Amino acid sequence: MLKHHPTLRYILTRSLWYFLTFLMAVTLNFFLPRLGASNPVDILMTKVGAGLDTKAAQEKEEAYLKEFGLVEVDGNGTLLRTSDGRPVRTPIWKQFCNYIAMCLKGDFGTSFLNYPKKVSDIIKTALPWTFALQFPTIILGWLVGNVLGALAAYKRGIFDKVLFPFSLLLSAVPFFAFGMLLVYQFAIRWEIFPAMGGYAGGLIPGFNLAFFSSAVYHYALPFFSIFIVQAGSQAIGMRSMCIYELGTDYVKYAKGLGIRENKILYYLFRNAMLPQLTGLALSLGAMIGGALITEMIFSYPGLGMAILTAIQGNDYPLIQGCTLLITVCVLLANFTVDILIGFLDPRVRAGQRGK
Amino acid sequence: MRFQPKEKWPEGCGARVLIKAVPVLLILCCLCGCQSGQSASDGMSFPRDKTLYIGGLQWGEPNTFNPLSDFPAFPVDGNDNLMYEPLLVYNILNGKMEPMLACSYEVTSDVIRVTMDRRARWSDGMPLTAQDALFTYQLGRRFKDARIAYVWEYVSAITIDTTKDSATGIRAERVNFFINKTRNNPLRILDFLQEYHIVPQHAIEPVLQACNNDFSLFQKKTFDRNPVVSGPYTLFTFSAEKIILKRNDEYWGNQAFFQGRQPRPEYIIHPIYKSNDHFSISLQQGNIDVSQTFIPRIWLKARKKVHTWYSAAPFHIPGSIIMFSLNVTRYPLSDKNVRRAMAAAINYRDIQELAVSGYSVERKPGLILPFGIEAQYDSPEDAAQYGVSYDPLLAKKILKEAGYTSIFDKKGNLLVMKDPSGAVVPTMFINSPTGWTDWETMVRIAVKGMRSAGIDVREGFLDFGLYNQNLKVGDYDCAIPLLAVTPSKPWSRFEAVMSSLNWKAIGEKMNENQGRYNNPSAKDYNPVVDSLIRVIPSLTDAQKKAAYRALNVIFMQDQPAIPLVYRPEMFYEFSVKHWKNFPTDQNPYAPPQCLCFGAGIRALWEIESVNE
Repeated sequence: MLKHHPTLRYILTRSLWYFLTFLMAVTLNFFLPRLGASNPVDILMTKVGAGLDTKAAQEKEEAYLKEFGLVEVDGNGTLLRTSDGRPVRTPIWKQFCNYIAMCLKGDFGTSFLNYPKKVSDIIKTALPWTFALQFPTIILGWLVGNVLGALAAYKRGIFDKVLFPFSLLLSAVPFFAFGMLLVYQFAIRWEIFPAMGGYAGGLIPGFNLAFFSSAVYHYALPFFSIFIVQAGSQAIGMRSMCIYELGTDYVKYAKGLGIRENKILYYLFRNAMLPQLTGLALSLGAMIGGALITEMIFSYPGLGMAILTAIQGNDYPLIQGCTLLITVCVLLANFTVDILIGFLDPRVRAGQRGK
Repeated sequence: MRFQPKEKWPEGCGARVLIKAVPVLLILCCLCGCQSGQSASDGMSFPRDKTLYIGGLQWGEPNTFNPLSDFPAFPVDGNDNLMYEPLLVYNILNGKMEPMLACSYEVTSDVIRVTMDRRARWSDGMPLTAQDALFTYQLGRRFKDARIAYVWEYVSAITIDTTKDSATGIRAERVNFFINKTRNNPLRILDFLQEYHIVPQHAIEPVLQACNNDFSLFQKKTFDRNPVVSGPYTLFTFSAEKIILKRNDEYWGNQAFFQGRQPRPEYIIHPIYKSNDHFSISLQQGNIDVSQTFIPRIWLKARKKVHTWYSAAPFHIPGSIIMFSLNVTRYPLSDKNVRRAMAAAINYRDIQELAVSGYSVERKPGLILPFGIEAQYDSPEDAAQYGVSYDPLLAKKILKEAGYTSIFDKKGNLLVMKDPSGAVVPTMFINSPTGWTDWETMVRIAVKGMRSAGIDVREGFLDFGLYNQNLKVGDYDCAIPLLAVTPSKPWSRFEAVMSSLNWKAIGEKMNENQGRYNNPSAKDYNPVVDSLIRVIPSLTDAQKKAAYRALNVIFMQDQPAIPLVYRPEMFYEFSVKHWKNFPTDQNPYAPPQCLCFGAGIRALWEIESVNE
């Protein structure tokens, strides 16, 4: 039946592959943090163990191991011990089963380092900031970059001569380095924009003008630090794609036929757009992890810092929660592009049909 | 960016819609992001001349304000006394315990008697009594995994009785801490009295009952709505970006200590930033008034109105020692001569200038700070006689006399080090957590000095988790131990470096003496060390002096660790852009404890807004 529905068949095969990738990613998310030699309780103990002697620290550590399910307990909740008195560690396959069972229930567990906070609560409060910082920036950067790139390719002349080297320079600058330059110049030397934070220190978020204007004011530098670099690199890609398409036979043929310029441009743009679309999906997918450094430079609220401290502290549940979120975003973004491209570019569907 | 997309471009109109949609979207997102705040205070702003901004005391999101949690957020953590208060407070200037909830204390050979201040009240108006103190400390008996349980290692019993003041005839309640004679350590008990906050029995006990006396369940309660506190401030609101405290106008201490005056700031706000640099910039821009962060080259910030306790070097009061712990179970560190040669090969002056920005006084070879309250125990003659200071020639001489030879290439780079039998000595590593830049600098300076003296060492920078694990189980050559700073220093420092009272073999975790110095089952075990560590806390001041001196001489002779540089117990920087009259060396009405720790809290009543 699927033979007669190439589009459906295309979507189904893609879905299957994405599902397999997802399973792989979930497994890796679980095992990778556990490959290291230290576990989160060790790191927790440096905080809580300070000033305690060896015996007291050991008792405390066992209480934590038990709390986080890293050691085996019997029916009464007492620790099982080996013959030399050490607690029995829960085997890793058992931890994995617990993890999968909890994931299926939608429970990502309790963070070790942010005890007693739930991982889902941490993500819920931080995610909107990351999203608000990254999503508009990426979309706008992409749009502006593509329009400028296409214009440069089509108009050539002085416009291209100025824009191209400038974009090349911008795309080569890492956005965090650019961010630091912005902070130094605008926030520290000239003091016209705030250097850090999502809104002024003396405010509590709420539905009012003071908060909004403060939030917008604080948004400026982080926004431009990503936007300008993003637009620059998109412009470069779009420019070269357009130049390539301008030289193709179908454009020459269309010109020879005397088709209106607008129509030619439409074809041109549609074809040059395809790789750019993939690029957009990838940056959208990576936006959660990608904001990490920007958030740190501007001390901007968001998920970046949570991810960083989780990784430094080997906070398994929080790492798992964040990486799962990133995985889902990357996969969803890619899947959407795959499907979109399938619709936009008939060649892809044709390829699936086996010619 | 002057170019507008033209109408003919297919995505042009889409772009326009999007450009218009973005601000709307952004605002919506921000709103969603901020929904977690308490609705009562939404959109509120705080008058600058009534608000004190504090920084560097809370890193990362606040998770819980439960006073019995292992890591509550600012200001419930540590000996921060804004919300909850301990019996006594510590003053880092004079090393004394000063009154808080208790108005006095006396130490005898068997018991520490603490007299409660009968004026103390909880924020809900209930009297704060000896019963609350007893309840708090007995939680350590009820729950083995409460941190306060550690007190019972040192205390055998706690009772309450009443006493009559002979002069005024006023009766007061007294809490008696009986010293556990097997540990016999009144110093530690005094540490506890200033460390543990007293909690309200009438507010805590019902919650414990509701949790069926399950302590791990209880620890999940966050106590962030209208907590019952005894301190001058209480929690107003908090988010992942800041913690806001509001003054408790009924605070009992206003009458008891300050003739009815209120602390000056009505609000205290602690913004939560993501790195030291942010606090530093904020302080220079006047967005933060007080900070407890490492800011290098602080003398350059004076023109930005940022100051410290001293207006010249060392700027801060040195309070602890950063040192290399040497693993004496590893060859060739098992040889005392190698350890001493290492100590002679490190350029301490460079470390002081380059790694800690000069915030230290000149390093002395012993384990006692030659500065401030510890200076009374320091003996310069002993240091000169037994200690090793920076002297590259001496380092080479010690090695040569012990039979070690080092082979250098033509450029003077060390190739190999050989021991007296002619065998090659394995390369040793000095570990530091990656990214702890001040420690990394110390390690680099030490490696440079040691290699040019002919000792084969290299830098070993490790992920912090692994570093700490290796440190505790003794899997390292040379590393910097993480030492807790308590009022019982320098005793606690000697215990942390030299005690083998809690001996564990290599491979098992040991919280103190990770270098495994003075193995109790070895032939050359020196029982004097442990007995001195055991006996010092219960000695009189004069006896203490002699005992510390003896212990310090053993330390310098055996060199189980190498003191590198001194570090302030806490940093204290302030900006005079919005508030003035901060305590300083010239105006020392309160110790430099960031206006909220120990006795430093008294400064909150004395600072003034610049607008006044």
